[in-house]
Amino acid sequence: MAKKLWTAGMAAALAVSMTACSSGNNNGNASSAAPAGSSSAPASGSASATATASASEKPLDKVTFSFFNGVAGEKDLNTNETTIGKMLEDQTGVNFKIEHLVGDLNTKIGTMIASDQYPDVIIPDAAIEEVLKAGAFIPLDDLIEQYGPNIKRVYGPYFERMRADYGGKIYFLPFGPQVGEYVADPNINQGAFWVQRRVLKEAGYPKIKTLDEYVKLVEDYVAKHKDENLTGMITLTHDWRFFATSNPPMHLAGFPNDGNVMVDINTNEAKTYAGSENEKRWLKTLNDLNGKNLFDKASFVDNYDQYIAKLTSHKVVGFFDYGWQIGNAMNVLKDAARKDQAQDDYVYFPLPVTFDGTHDQYLDPPGWTSNRGAGITKSAKDPARIIQYWDNLLTDDNQVLKSWGIKGETYEVDDKGRFYRTADQIAKLDDAFNEKFGFKTYDWDWPQYGTSSTLADGNAVAPGFQPEVFQLSLTEGDKTILDKYGVQTYAQMFDKPEDRPWFPAWSIPKEQGSPQQIWETKKDDLLKKYYAKLVLAKPADFEGVWADYMKEFGKLDTAGYEKWYTEQIKKIVEVAK
Amino acid sequence: MENNTALPTSPSTSKPEPGGLKLFVKKLVSQRMLVLMSVPFVIWLFVFKYVPVWGWTIAFQDYQPSLAFKDQQWVGFSHFRSLFSEDRFLIALRNTLAMSGINLVLGFVTAVSLALLLNEVRKVAFKRVVQTVSYLPHFISWVVAAGIIQTMLAPDGVVNELLKMFGVIEKGQEYLFLGKAEWFWGIFGASSVWKDVGWNTIVYLAAISSIDPAQYEAAEMDGAGRLRRMWYITLPGIKPVIIVLLIMNIGYLLESGFEPQYLLGNGMNVDYSENIDIFVLKYGLQQFNFPLATAAGMFKTVVSFILLFSANHIAKRLGQDRLF
Repeated sequence: MAKKLWTAGMAAALAVSMTACSSGNNNGNASSAAPAGSSSAPASGSASATATASASEKPLDKVTFSFFNGVAGEKDLNTNETTIGKMLEDQTGVNFKIEHLVGDLNTKIGTMIASDQYPDVIIPDAAIEEVLKAGAFIPLDDLIEQYGPNIKRVYGPYFERMRADYGGKIYFLPFGPQVGEYVADPNINQGAFWVQRRVLKEAGYPKIKTLDEYVKLVEDYVAKHKDENLTGMITLTHDWRFFATSNPPMHLAGFPNDGNVMVDINTNEAKTYAGSENEKRWLKTLNDLNGKNLFDKASFVDNYDQYIAKLTSHKVVGFFDYGWQIGNAMNVLKDAARKDQAQDDYVYFPLPVTFDGTHDQYLDPPGWTSNRGAGITKSAKDPARIIQYWDNLLTDDNQVLKSWGIKGETYEVDDKGRFYRTADQIAKLDDAFNEKFGFKTYDWDWPQYGTSSTLADGNAVAPGFQPEVFQLSLTEGDKTILDKYGVQTYAQMFDKPEDRPWFPAWSIPKEQGSPQQIWETKKDDLLKKYYAKLVLAKPADFEGVWADYMKEFGKLDTAGYEKWYTEQIKKIVEVAK
Repeated sequence: MENNTALPTSPSTSKPEPGGLKLFVKKLVSQRMLVLMSVPFVIWLFVFKYVPVWGWTIAFQDYQPSLAFKDQQWVGFSHFRSLFSEDRFLIALRNTLAMSGINLVLGFVTAVSLALLLNEVRKVAFKRVVQTVSYLPHFISWVVAAGIIQTMLAPDGVVNELLKMFGVIEKGQEYLFLGKAEWFWGIFGASSVWKDVGWNTIVYLAAISSIDPAQYEAAEMDGAGRLRRMWYITLPGIKPVIIVLLIMNIGYLLESGFEPQYLLGNGMNVDYSENIDIFVLKYGLQQFNFPLATAAGMFKTVVSFILLFSANHIAKRLGQDRLF
């Protein structure tokens, strides 16, 4: 469950995957990137290294650092093999050789710890507590003081919290500091109940607000299309992604993804929802669906790939999941719809479903994921160069470069100074191009402006968040359905996120082997065992299985867990004041 | 080996055979070429098989990777105690033994039977085809094999479709095979046989081909039929191979494999699919509990050691061929 970071991470990743760039002036010469006050910095070491170094300055010697990213799924490469990375190398002389995770994260990190040999930079993802405990990260405070004017500018507001979390020192830089005005994601990369568009079309685009309405919609559609061999709902249960099946009670009750707890916005009390009436209601719904043969039993044995394959098979009517987790399936469906209008029927549409239909909190409030980030290890030979590179990356111009790209090539600026992309540019930015150009490499795993940030001139940092870009990326089918619901963006289907300074609560650091962590491990084991039993039981047996489950659940120290969480949240709220 | 000037001078003196160290040194010198040839392998064995045993010390410490060896806290057998009081470990031990047992018995019976049957086939072409088909799955990785098995056993998979065709079940009653915990051992056994039976047959076929044909002719003269010849000639002919392999496999009894259980396991069948290797991964390595993982590994080694020696000893007692 700790991996929920992904929600934030991939959300940004996906949002930015339609991106591009610019260093705001000619062919990548980033001389304007020099921060004010660079004059005091030593010539060779300041982040203001200009690409066109004047003759008096000696060019920076090239250096390559190793960089381990504890997230699987992307290609290993050298940053200087990408367009963006090459330009940054010209500015700083630094190249990173990136290695991604293959296999199991904890095993890999465990091997590094046991051998006491580390890459220069690590993003340990969910294993961050272990890396810190092993003393692998060096404190960055002095380096930032010396070489990091931009780091200070961007992360400064969070320093106090960063230090409070990890014993008074900064050991790594998280990825999402908010800079400038908050801008909302027009797409849904967070949780939602999804349904095939053809279902809504056939029903006459009804307003679906409650779980009962949603279930009925799915049921009716399957009943009408008996011969098509449709599946009503599936859920994702594979390995650490199990939360896709266990999180809905929290969202259905009208709370955002805080992990294992629902936090009352007025009292700041944290309550778990595992073993609660909300959970029972959700599981009973699935149990009923299963009783009517509308639920795919294989949900409990399928792996992630099989799940994604089912979503692209056109046979699944609806499901709950997070947008970032179904990106691969959605891209396939959308690409097909782009080529052939008729395929639009099979694209999924997000719905703000809750138990009572009054108030949903699916959209993430501005958050600060405090227990994820990139740190420099004690094996690194030249930490100063890495900090300088990061600092240089955090200039406005380089942030534009890494997310918008190069002016005239991957984005345009109109006479009002608004960034936009032409239809041709949007079409050009496919997966292969993003990889080559470096948008993919630089989309998330670096110190950067949070995805919902804006530049001083009002442009969104993430192109996907810029209304001009979003509108252009819509197909006819997209426009039709949004129009039917009277909204311009998918996000407008949902209620505005309320302000929650602790969000996301799951990112509040928990010590390795602490009672909180043990509670989570045991709870996860218990859920994995009982969810299948509860959902697949005969409807008549449901109550009996639930009683067994509650008996087992009663053995956990849930009260202690809630108490700890409430204390932590109150602390953060105090700091935020 | 400093000097060999002190060797006995006259060979005619009827001295008793030198014993112990003297004999050893003498042999060492006279066979120095052989000794030199084996040195690289002895070094390899030492570096890769004996040096890592040093890591066993972790099992007796509250191991902290960031501390030096001298700063570690020694805790005696407490990790072993917590291991054996852990319900999950006992379940994992049960599953390991059950699945190994199934594998051992099924593996032997099927491989030997197939070898005997193939040996009786006259048509060489047919024999070749059967052999190839039966040992092909061995070359598929478990990852792919597990994918095939999962797809076949899915509610909308081949097996359920067949059951529906023959009217065993109605639509809507499809079995979730991998969700039925108590069926897991059976599925595992069948998958393992499918995957490895052809491969295991090869060694027996090789052994059979070395049996003297004259024996078969003689038996035929005496009026022995096919089954009799199998029973009285072929089987005794490959008995030594069977016994040696059996002893070796008994040593591996606590190695019930890792991949099939890991890939086919899920939340629903975990009580039957989780074996010691997966336990070590889940509760040892993934939770950074290295001492627990080491303790479980040590336990496996010690038990395997005991099993191997007892099996060998029993074979010796029964006057059969054996390992050593």
